[in-house]
Amino acid sequence: MATATAAVVPAAPAGAAPILLELDDVSLQFGGVRAMSNVSCAVRRGELFSIIGPNGAGKTSTLNCISGRYRPTSGRIRYQGEDITGLSPNRRAGLGIGRTFQNLALFAGMTVLDNISVGRHHLMRAGFVRGMLYWVGGAQREEAEHRAAVEEIIDFLEIAHIRNEHAGTLSYGLRKRVELARAIALKPDLILLDEPMAGMNLEEKEDMARFIVDLNEEWGMTVVMIEHDMGVVMDLSHRVMVLDFGRKIAEGVPDDVRGSDVVKAAYLGQPGEEAAA
Amino acid sequence: MIPPQFAHIEALDTLPKLLRDNAKRYPHETVLRTKELGRWRTWDWTRYHERTRQWALGLRALGLQRGDTVAIIGDARPDWVAAAVAAHALGVKTLGLYQDALDDEVAYLLDYCGARVVIAENEEQVDKMLSVAAQASGVERIVYCDVRGMRKYDDPRLVAADTLLADAVKVHAAEPALWDSLVDATTGDDIAILCTTSGTTARPKLATYTGGKLIRHVATYCAALGIGPDDEYVSILPMGWIVEQFQAVFQPIVCRNRISFVEDSETTMADLREIAPTFIVLAPRVWEGIAANVRAQMMDASLLKQKVFAWGLGLGLAAVEKGGVSRLAQAVVLRALRDRLGFTRLRFACTGGAPMGPDTFKFFMAMGLPMLQIYGQTELGGVYCMQRPGEVDFDSVGTGLTGDYEIRIDNADNQGVGEVVSRHPYMFEGYFRNDEATRADLRDGWMHTGDAGFFKPSGQLVVIDRMRDLATTSAGDRFSPQFIENKLKFSPYVSEAVLLGDQRPFLAAIVCMRFPIVSKWAEQNRMAFTTYSDLASRQEVCGLVGREIERMNATLPPAQRVRKFVLLYKELDADDGELTRTRKVRRGVIAEKYGEIIDAIYGGAESVRIDTEITFQGGSKQRIRTSMPIATLAHEPAAGRKAS
Repeated sequence: MATATAAVVPAAPAGAAPILLELDDVSLQFGGVRAMSNVSCAVRRGELFSIIGPNGAGKTSTLNCISGRYRPTSGRIRYQGEDITGLSPNRRAGLGIGRTFQNLALFAGMTVLDNISVGRHHLMRAGFVRGMLYWVGGAQREEAEHRAAVEEIIDFLEIAHIRNEHAGTLSYGLRKRVELARAIALKPDLILLDEPMAGMNLEEKEDMARFIVDLNEEWGMTVVMIEHDMGVVMDLSHRVMVLDFGRKIAEGVPDDVRGSDVVKAAYLGQPGEEAAA
Repeated sequence: MIPPQFAHIEALDTLPKLLRDNAKRYPHETVLRTKELGRWRTWDWTRYHERTRQWALGLRALGLQRGDTVAIIGDARPDWVAAAVAAHALGVKTLGLYQDALDDEVAYLLDYCGARVVIAENEEQVDKMLSVAAQASGVERIVYCDVRGMRKYDDPRLVAADTLLADAVKVHAAEPALWDSLVDATTGDDIAILCTTSGTTARPKLATYTGGKLIRHVATYCAALGIGPDDEYVSILPMGWIVEQFQAVFQPIVCRNRISFVEDSETTMADLREIAPTFIVLAPRVWEGIAANVRAQMMDASLLKQKVFAWGLGLGLAAVEKGGVSRLAQAVVLRALRDRLGFTRLRFACTGGAPMGPDTFKFFMAMGLPMLQIYGQTELGGVYCMQRPGEVDFDSVGTGLTGDYEIRIDNADNQGVGEVVSRHPYMFEGYFRNDEATRADLRDGWMHTGDAGFFKPSGQLVVIDRMRDLATTSAGDRFSPQFIENKLKFSPYVSEAVLLGDQRPFLAAIVCMRFPIVSKWAEQNRMAFTTYSDLASRQEVCGLVGREIERMNATLPPAQRVRKFVLLYKELDADDGELTRTRKVRRGVIAEKYGEIIDAIYGGAESVRIDTEITFQGGSKQRIRTSMPIATLAHEPAAGRKAS
């Protein structure tokens, strides 16, 4: 498969770094459908961790359990050693977990700048009263600081030229980038990316791959990513977890996963065939 | 003669001396602005001076000595200009490279100029420098300004600008008199810059300039246009071009106008509007792009707005034909449009670097812009001939800046058309390491420009084309390809055109469509398409462009009308060697590369099959297999027949 990221070499996995996120025997059931069955994994701080698997394998469900959109039927989720299984999504965002969505979830009628600023909302302290006392209450200073942080992100993701455009008028690739910007604006320690490159052309994928690596290496964010493009996954990830029918069937460094017969059988093709990656 | 208001440049004959003087006299006056992280940051003379001093001491610490060369590559930024002036303070020549130059071009120029140090803006440029290291083995150090993405490199030649400048601060603290002694040692006779010529036929040559002459030349130009400390300029063009170095490096220091650097090439129009410059210099392709953009946006507007725009523009154009401005059209439509573009405060708007089609010129004149054509060559300081406000016409480029700027026409034919030959006191010293070329072009102090032109009875110079490009059909009709191409390019649907017909029975054209606009047109007409090549091969698009060409044909004498054309499957690109970096067509390359297409046009074929591979910047390749229809246009355009 052609890969968009041939030049990007993953740094050594953060072997000795502390565990940031832990899924402990997590299961998720919708009526009679088992979306996740006893999934356990641990993501270390500084890792770029990918989840792959065929359609319906439970990848997005896993991400939704981590972000708090779904509550697991059984099992625990720990973040920085703390049990967050029962916490609401906004509380998790407050702890430093940010995410993007598989299907875009931007405010189409708002500008790119405003969309990204929404991501800063939970970090703002000025309330109604301080807002009324804009110049004397510190709200002005706070707003300027947040705007500066947003501009850092705009510069990083190279979207200065669309700063004042309405999100709804942008191309799909750019909207994906704006959504990433909004997730970064949360200043998360852990960012969950749900198919960041779906629907993108080669050039857009190359840019996105570069941004994800920079987020991980320069901004120090731990990344958990779902992605279908095997070239991207194998090139960027430190470790990969493979799901099939809601169960974890493999986990390891990209080369090991690529070589695993179980994975080939479930996802990449029949045993003995050359892996698609 | 130096204009009296610039008498101080007699004594202060180098940029470092002038900069130091400005910092002393106007310490807190704003000179540079740059947009970073969404905000305009200003540099006053003190900051500019200090930063330049740091760059100078830093470059000196890298071992640069008098007579060496430093190459600078990157977008126009304050550090670009500060580093250039700093190099001059060390007696070091600067060579500005085009930021989009490919490895091969960069390698050739670095090797040719013998640069020991390269200042590269960012990772992209550093990447380029490292990949040409083998061919340009003289490069000892590469200074990079933007640290993003640099963590993966460990090449010992790399040095971060921040480190270099921080060390320079320590050097200055230890030896406070060093900077002044360096500046005092500079003279106006030092070779200050090397500048690439456009190179339409071969590898670019490097014109050498002394700082003193360029300063005087800039002062003369500023005096002619009345540019002073109240003026605002926005830098848009690439710094590799002499005119932009003239405007961005020399002009602010000589006449203290303010200059703003845009955030990104894609934010140019928004940045222009925020600054509202009082003068700008743009290449015709940029003006054409702006005009096309306005038209494209109007295609998206409501029917009422479209009607009002068409009415206002019509009134404006009619007024321009009579030599005036329509106040009504200005009040209702055109002033608002001017404001949208950031052109409300313009005292004059120049176009130069290549001839601009009269239609584009009139479009902006109708909008109320004070347009001026300027003309010059790299060897002659970029600009030495210009129209004056109030004396504007659509075909001339005006007269020499002052009486010191002499222009004559050599080997004129019976219509007065011949080669433009010029000289002035502040021109280049010769080509770098190329005496043969210097002897060929510079004879008895006169620069033989290679341009064909003539004088109008009013004394204004008209430049038609390059001498060698002037062509004759096999029927004996002379024509200027560039003149007709410019007419074609006024159509919003045409981005580039190459005229054929030299020693052929009739004129034909290879046309590149303006993709954003044609694709919008296709959407409006419910046409499904995939790529540029696909869209270009459609009969409907061929018909659209054919109608545009027929409209243009109607304004030309029969012998100069385009009879056939093809829509090329790709855009012409400087990276493929089809255009120069200043976007001039390289006819030799086109004739060779598209020989098959040209033969098909003149061979009477109805279409031509293409099976080729194109390489993208990232190195990926794409095979293109398509069939391009060859359209034949009516002989009598007035009859209104459609393109086949």
